[in-house]
Amino acid sequence: MKRTNGKVDHITASVIHGALENIAVEMGYKLMRMSYSSIIRESEDFGAALVDSEGRGLAESAQSTPLQSGPIPGYVRGALRALADRDETVNPGDVIMHNDAYAGASHGPDVAFIVPVFHEDELIAFATTTAHHLDIGALTPGSCGIVDAIDAYAEGLQFKAIKVYDAGKKVAPVWHLLRDNIRVSNLVVGDMEAQIAAARFGAEQLANLIERYGQPTFDAACAAVMDYSERLMRQAIAALPDGSYRATTYIDGYLDDPEPARRELPIMVTITIAGDQMTVDLTGTAAQVSDRPINMPLEGTVDIAIWLTVRSVLLDTAIHGHIPVNDGLVRPIHIVVPERCLANPEFPAPTIARFCPGNQLADTVMKALAQVAPTRVSAGVGNLRVIAFSGLQNSEHWVHMEIFEGSYGGRYGKDGMDAVDTLYANTRNNPIEDIESHLPLRVRRYELRENAYGAGEWRGGLGSIREFEYLSDGAAAVEGEGHKFPPWGFDGGKDGQVAGLQLVRIDGSRQDLPSKVPHTALKAGDRFICVGPAGGGYGDPFKRNPELVLDDVVDGVISPESAMRDFGVVISKDLVLDQSATAVLRDSRAS
Amino acid sequence: MDVGGTFTDFVVTNTESRETGVHKVPTTPDDPSQGVITGLKEMCEHFDINAGDVHHILHGTTIATNAVLEYDGARTGLITTEGYRDILHIGRHQRPQHYSIMQDIPWQDRPLVRRAQRLTVPERMVPPNGEVLVPLDENAVRVASRQLKSDGVDSIAVCFLFSYLNPMHEERAREIIEAEHPDCFVTTSASVSPQFREFERFTTAAMNAFIGPKVRTYVNELESTLAAQGFCSAELHLMSSNGGVATAQMVAERPVITLLSGPTAGVMGGKLSGELLDRQNLITFDVGGTSADIGLIVNGTYSEASARDTWIGGYPVMAPTIDINTIGAGGGSIAYIDGGGAFRVGPESAGAHPGPAAYGHGGDRPTVTDAHLVLGRLLQGNFLGGEMNLDLAAAIGVIDGLARQLQLDREEAAEGIITVVNANMANAIRSRTVQKGHDPREFSLVAFGGAGPLHGVEVARILGIPEVIIPPYPGITSAVGLLTTDLKYDAIRTEFQTSVQINSDRLSNDFNRMQAELASQFEKGGLNEHDVTYTRSGDLRYIGQGYELRVPFADGPLDETILAEVFQAFETIHIREYGHVFEQSPIEIVNIRLTGSRRMAKIKLRPGEAKPGATLSAFEERPCFFRVDDSLQALDTPLYQREQLATGHRVTGPVIIVQKDTTIAVPPGASATADASNNLLIDTGV
Repeated sequence: MKRTNGKVDHITASVIHGALENIAVEMGYKLMRMSYSSIIRESEDFGAALVDSEGRGLAESAQSTPLQSGPIPGYVRGALRALADRDETVNPGDVIMHNDAYAGASHGPDVAFIVPVFHEDELIAFATTTAHHLDIGALTPGSCGIVDAIDAYAEGLQFKAIKVYDAGKKVAPVWHLLRDNIRVSNLVVGDMEAQIAAARFGAEQLANLIERYGQPTFDAACAAVMDYSERLMRQAIAALPDGSYRATTYIDGYLDDPEPARRELPIMVTITIAGDQMTVDLTGTAAQVSDRPINMPLEGTVDIAIWLTVRSVLLDTAIHGHIPVNDGLVRPIHIVVPERCLANPEFPAPTIARFCPGNQLADTVMKALAQVAPTRVSAGVGNLRVIAFSGLQNSEHWVHMEIFEGSYGGRYGKDGMDAVDTLYANTRNNPIEDIESHLPLRVRRYELRENAYGAGEWRGGLGSIREFEYLSDGAAAVEGEGHKFPPWGFDGGKDGQVAGLQLVRIDGSRQDLPSKVPHTALKAGDRFICVGPAGGGYGDPFKRNPELVLDDVVDGVISPESAMRDFGVVISKDLVLDQSATAVLRDSRAS
Repeated sequence: MDVGGTFTDFVVTNTESRETGVHKVPTTPDDPSQGVITGLKEMCEHFDINAGDVHHILHGTTIATNAVLEYDGARTGLITTEGYRDILHIGRHQRPQHYSIMQDIPWQDRPLVRRAQRLTVPERMVPPNGEVLVPLDENAVRVASRQLKSDGVDSIAVCFLFSYLNPMHEERAREIIEAEHPDCFVTTSASVSPQFREFERFTTAAMNAFIGPKVRTYVNELESTLAAQGFCSAELHLMSSNGGVATAQMVAERPVITLLSGPTAGVMGGKLSGELLDRQNLITFDVGGTSADIGLIVNGTYSEASARDTWIGGYPVMAPTIDINTIGAGGGSIAYIDGGGAFRVGPESAGAHPGPAAYGHGGDRPTVTDAHLVLGRLLQGNFLGGEMNLDLAAAIGVIDGLARQLQLDREEAAEGIITVVNANMANAIRSRTVQKGHDPREFSLVAFGGAGPLHGVEVARILGIPEVIIPPYPGITSAVGLLTTDLKYDAIRTEFQTSVQINSDRLSNDFNRMQAELASQFEKGGLNEHDVTYTRSGDLRYIGQGYELRVPFADGPLDETILAEVFQAFETIHIREYGHVFEQSPIEIVNIRLTGSRRMAKIKLRPGEAKPGATLSAFEERPCFFRVDDSLQALDTPLYQREQLATGHRVTGPVIIVQKDTTIAVPPGASATADASNNLLIDTGV
């Protein structure tokens, strides 16, 4: 059926747009508050968004993490393709479960629940939630640190557009299958129910909105808001000089692997600006690693990483205010990736541990943009690590996933952000008082890392040190990046510092671990010391305002010796700045 | 007396004769107490009141709030558990904005305590009961106190992990600091907010420390000035964010409890209007120049914000706070076409200076106020009680500029501004009601603040709300609200008890202990504990969830029946708020709460009088623009003064009603009736 094209005035468009965002926010609110596992409700690793019948994003929830909401339109398109291939139709009352990393999903543990919205018997839109689930039935407990999965089948259950409600009726066998094949299934199934309740709420609100304005006006308003975001992005791109800008960074891969093809893998980004369009070409990036899960789904991870950085730099919220996130925003950005590349793998290459490589890609995009928008970027960003803590208590699993923060590089006129989640991830840590009250774990330390920084006129952000001790026997698995290559310095700034991870056993032995560790058994009393990366410096450190260097020394984040060596600033033992000695020292280096 | 951004408002009431008078003076931002004292003196003269006859002085102040927003507080130190020096700095490791490289992080860029003054001492407690793992190193506390003293610190927050389970170490550290540094303002995290989540609790304590000395000085000086002015028998109470008031002494110790007192008083004032009309479900809608504050009253009581939802100046605060949603939409909100060609209104506001173009102070961008003036809904000569003449030509000028960009008529453009700002306000209200599982159609909207009564009916109609209530003094509803409060203190304790394994003795004991704590607070204020009523509640969630729902607990011993009722009530609230219930999942009691309140004398207005046979005649009739049957029309609209409407008078829209501090728009299809309660009741016609 052909839909009529409506027209919409500015005022109605603004009103409908406000209502769309409101609905997405409400969905996120309900999901976050209802959900069980800390990865969703504390880390906020979930998404909520509205998508039109063609799979174009209309609005996303403000609280959700970019790597969750961003892929939702892709999930919907992928699920629709899968249904069409099987000649299945979408009906009122359906709820569709999807997590196919080769059909829009970000990776297997991020499961979408898609609820269609009908108006006068016609499919108009979808309300969809995604969330990172604690376990999805992979080879080892948890859904992080499955770094030794050899293919997509080893990563856990694959849902390719599975109806869990069919025309309103619960499809019981699917739910039995879920309960029987997923660890900590009470939590996981509870979270799935929460996702469905939130998506249904959004669908109902959206149906009311369409009812109120009529489908032609609604469609026209959606088209208007997408066009609007597209215009903003085109204007921002057009303001940059035409040309090609290339950058390369490296991920660790498997640092302890005998196979060189799995170690030290390049990510190469070439950005070409031509008028109001941008092409992001990943040619030169490493080939896929066919039997290790650090490959990145092109749709769902790679695209999100690229869009995230481009919009954070060109349409920075702190400068441009709130910009509606929808399909229009990404129309001017073309992505080119060779096949069977780390960023465009071929099924069944595994992808479950794509989190940190994808964030490194986001950082590499910034490194390329730095050449053309130097005052709007940060220097190299410190990447993240995730540890899946687990164990058995009374034959029941417990699983806890904790994301370990990175830090930002220095920025034009500002130091980098310290100890935060970075780029496409923006989750939250779990309160120590919550962890220790509910899990056999103790957090023994949580502080800034001292005397490790990317020197610059604007210093890179500081890393953190966090220490976890097991109070009963258990296990851990680790996926992360940034143990080998420090965040890049920019415009005369020095590189930052690499991250590290130590395992201290109860017997006192110490072991430096690489950034990826498959499931490893641990004893009560064993502990991890997780040392976070420090962001790269921005600009010549010898031009840093000496007062700021003094502040850092007074605050105990750098030593007086480092101040002299790295910044050319002379500070006495009793913490007084010696202006004249500083001037002499700085001049001597200049000449 | 309520200190606002522009004016300090006064309401005086004689609770026996029910005589009530109002007064207004300009706020003196540099020293708000000046305006307060001037206004009090003027008011006493005007109403012929003897200062010595005043029994209660209730005060709404923004002194604490402004200290946070302007980042102008004490030089503050922190003493915390060794190994956790930077909890305040790392926070929840989340960036405030997803899509921004150049953003600031408030707790890193504007630290309440800089790192040099964040010192650690050996000590550590562990759950479940606050067992001591590492004893407190008292000497280390002594050394840290001395160092902070020599650094010039005059306020210290003591923040230890798990202190909410066992405050012993924090209390001992407080004693040591007070001995070492007697002039220092000392705050412990468990005394300010004894609940789990260390970043939020430590931040709340650090904020209390940061604003403490300033608030203490303000309160002490105000008390002594009042005494010097002859208010010798008056008790001074200050509005706190929990909907009650606190003694001056309590506020001087715990200023964080006043951080949201301004909008809270407004909700209380709106609640009074609803009570007088016997309305149980109210949405309070307080619209000023830059923002609209939305409060919710269900079954006669306001709800409290969840501990995780209160932020001020970008910092989280865990202090009992009534649930108020503030959005950037008000009379000064600026309308514009942005770079992408979208039409927006707010959140940027022209503020008081330069203000809307119509103020004639150089504002050159179209605002909501300009739009009302162009549409004829505001009178040039009746703004702020005639103290300001609005400049129609200037308003027309800026609206015409926007109209050209939008390719609309002047009035269509002006109405577009109102439409968009009303939609924004309605969205915010829809969030607060639908989000909590309430149907807005079952509510009355109480519209006040300078601009609320202009928007009330149209916003109500968007939401299907049948009735709008305009209080007697819409511009000073907050000051009226102060006169409706009780003295109210809260206690809280984290339990982490589950429905499958519950220790009801421990729960009962904890409730008793909390009651003893509150009783001693009331007694400190010189009050008899017997006049206090206590209300129990708890924060519950399914085990594993991270957000709690507030559930009432019955009085008496907590036997199985009562607990079963509590868990049942939790599920009912869960399904109402989220539309879902997790069958047979165990439930966790995270916190228990006790509120003590002691009744205070309250404002009682004299009932309005009917004037039988009096005819009502408009003092003016003029064309105003309203939308009828989808077209914008200039309708002949009668204008009345609010005082003209005696009890029982009813007028049918279109009508404009003016009064000293606001203008009320009654559009076609709506009708307004003056009620004996002094409220104006508008039937919105939906």
